[in-house]
Amino acid sequence: MRSLRGAIGPALILVAAAGLFVAAGRLPVVPVPGQLGPDFWPRLVLIGLMGSCVLKLLEVARAREPAAEGGPSLPLAVPKLATGMALVLGYPALAPLLGFPLTNVLFLLAFMRLVGMRRPLPLVVTAVLGTVALLYVFVKVVYLPLPKGAGVMEDFTIFLYRLLRIF
Amino acid sequence: MWETLGNLGAGFAASLEPLNFLMILAGLAIGIVAGALPGITMLNSIVLVLPFTYLMGIVPSLLLMTSIYIGGVFGGSITGILFNIPGDPMNVPTTWEGYQLNKKGQVRLALGMAIMASAIGGFLSALILTFASPPFAKVALTFSTVEYFAVVLLGLASVVVIGQVSIAGALISLFAGMFLGTIGTEAQYGITRFAFGVNFLETGVDFVTVLIGLFAIGEVLDQLSAVKGPAGGDAATPATARAQLPSPRQLWALRGSILRGLGTGVVIGAIPGTGATVASFVSYGLEKQVSKHPERFGTGVLEGLTASETSVNASTGGAMIPLLTLGIPGSGATAVMMGAFLLHGVQPGPLLFSKSPHEVYTIFVGMLLANLIMIVMGLIAARCFAQLMKVPEPILAAFIIAFCFLGAYALRNDMSDVWMTMLFGVLGFFMRRYNLPIPPLILGIILGPLAEQYFLTSMVSHGNDVTVFFTRPVSAAVLLTTVGLLVWPALRWRFGRRRAYEVKKA
Repeated sequence: MRSLRGAIGPALILVAAAGLFVAAGRLPVVPVPGQLGPDFWPRLVLIGLMGSCVLKLLEVARAREPAAEGGPSLPLAVPKLATGMALVLGYPALAPLLGFPLTNVLFLLAFMRLVGMRRPLPLVVTAVLGTVALLYVFVKVVYLPLPKGAGVMEDFTIFLYRLLRIF
Repeated sequence: MWETLGNLGAGFAASLEPLNFLMILAGLAIGIVAGALPGITMLNSIVLVLPFTYLMGIVPSLLLMTSIYIGGVFGGSITGILFNIPGDPMNVPTTWEGYQLNKKGQVRLALGMAIMASAIGGFLSALILTFASPPFAKVALTFSTVEYFAVVLLGLASVVVIGQVSIAGALISLFAGMFLGTIGTEAQYGITRFAFGVNFLETGVDFVTVLIGLFAIGEVLDQLSAVKGPAGGDAATPATARAQLPSPRQLWALRGSILRGLGTGVVIGAIPGTGATVASFVSYGLEKQVSKHPERFGTGVLEGLTASETSVNASTGGAMIPLLTLGIPGSGATAVMMGAFLLHGVQPGPLLFSKSPHEVYTIFVGMLLANLIMIVMGLIAARCFAQLMKVPEPILAAFIIAFCFLGAYALRNDMSDVWMTMLFGVLGFFMRRYNLPIPPLILGIILGPLAEQYFLTSMVSHGNDVTVFFTRPVSAAVLLTTVGLLVWPALRWRFGRRRAYEVKKA
């Protein structure tokens, strides 16, 4: 069963590489006599990738101790990981809407709580002060035009920047 | 010789300029702290500062990164000796002996010896780098695209050394990286490859986003996913620890270990794809082999600690040789530094010595200075580290991701780079879980486009005649080395299996 799980990754990459190999053949090439086309190198690389996947699949199939080669062997905290990934992907999704300051405070609160910070006061203080420090460094010192948010949130971010005297 | 000394003098003056000197100090501090904190590797910290080096010139950027490199490879030994927690895999051999010395009540000597061995190893390797690189670069100037392709191929083939878990896994990672390097507008014909209508892919995949995502975010997610067991143990965790530098007599008594560690570190560091981890294990093994009392290793032997610690820092100078003279990164850290060169529009390679001697020699002097300053910084760090270790993991993890966001956004002020970083972070987690090594992917994305460029140019110049790679002596020799590098692990694996079979049979 574990061997099968270990084969999923290489098998998926193999299929993707085969698809990309076909796509490489459809590149709009105007051939120049005596020169290799722009599809030559990617195709060579994709052949290497497919060959490596086959090698890996053989390795997994031959592995007598599946735990060593066949795939992940350490126990996973799946709900925690899924929440972590959702937060990591939600962070750039929310920033253009809510603006960086508010998104960052929310992200820090949620992520620190997820990793194990329990007490509310240090949690809030760290998230707020940390965000203020980041804003000072990156907006005031580095002049990085961080996302301000959309609609009313943009007004809120600008108000916040003025309050912190960084705008 | 006189020219080199003159350049060194100018480099010395430049590295003492306030900003440059500040970058050396900051880099050492960041490196030692990052190297010592388990979960934040030296490589991660170099990656995290990379986007911010946009704001500086090439010299302070490189001084910052090389100092992080130097401090980072040493830092992990502090926590290894104090808490039996090596900050990086390269500090494991140091921990084997250092922690045992700690348990014997010799923690001050163990810390002091680790600091001195690292500083000596790093300083001497930087000296070797300074005097060996220019003549090597002169030879490299005679290379054409044919030789360069062979050298790049050697760099790519080094994945068999990097990917120690599974060669097939390392190759998948390498070819995936090389494929990512083909995305975007192609140089020869000007057509866009594999963008599939996505605008930001037309300019290619920025390797900085890949680096930050795979290393930093992938690592945070990996640690987050771990089901934590009961912490603690019987580790002696002193609230404060002072290092006691060894006396000249103690150092002289360990001169053999220091020299062996230095030689191993410089040579292994200079071989593309190896780096400090391989150097530390090889030098520890070598020291055990030459010792009159190998059975004592693992019980707190100063020779083992000294050799491994010297080699770890000696590998930093060694790894810079192929980067600066050939433009081939010899390790993950130098791959990121190559990124810093490219970000500033400077191509590392033999021409660097004639085009930018000022920058090169300032970096050399910076490395020499950083290794000397590290003695003081190491002493301070050893005292403070018991306190620094108390930075709560939740704060560390959350702020690493926040810095990744800002670092990726700072590249082009574009959220698409942040998205790429986060997505590569998730990919980095799965790569770790499925034993796919990450450094080969980085090697592929950086060296892949170079390999394509050199190969296609060679083909155009030589009428698509591939035999040119075998008829030119330097190219043929490099390709032969590449074949050796590829065949050796297969032979070792084969013989290893046979030996295991014979042992089992017996």
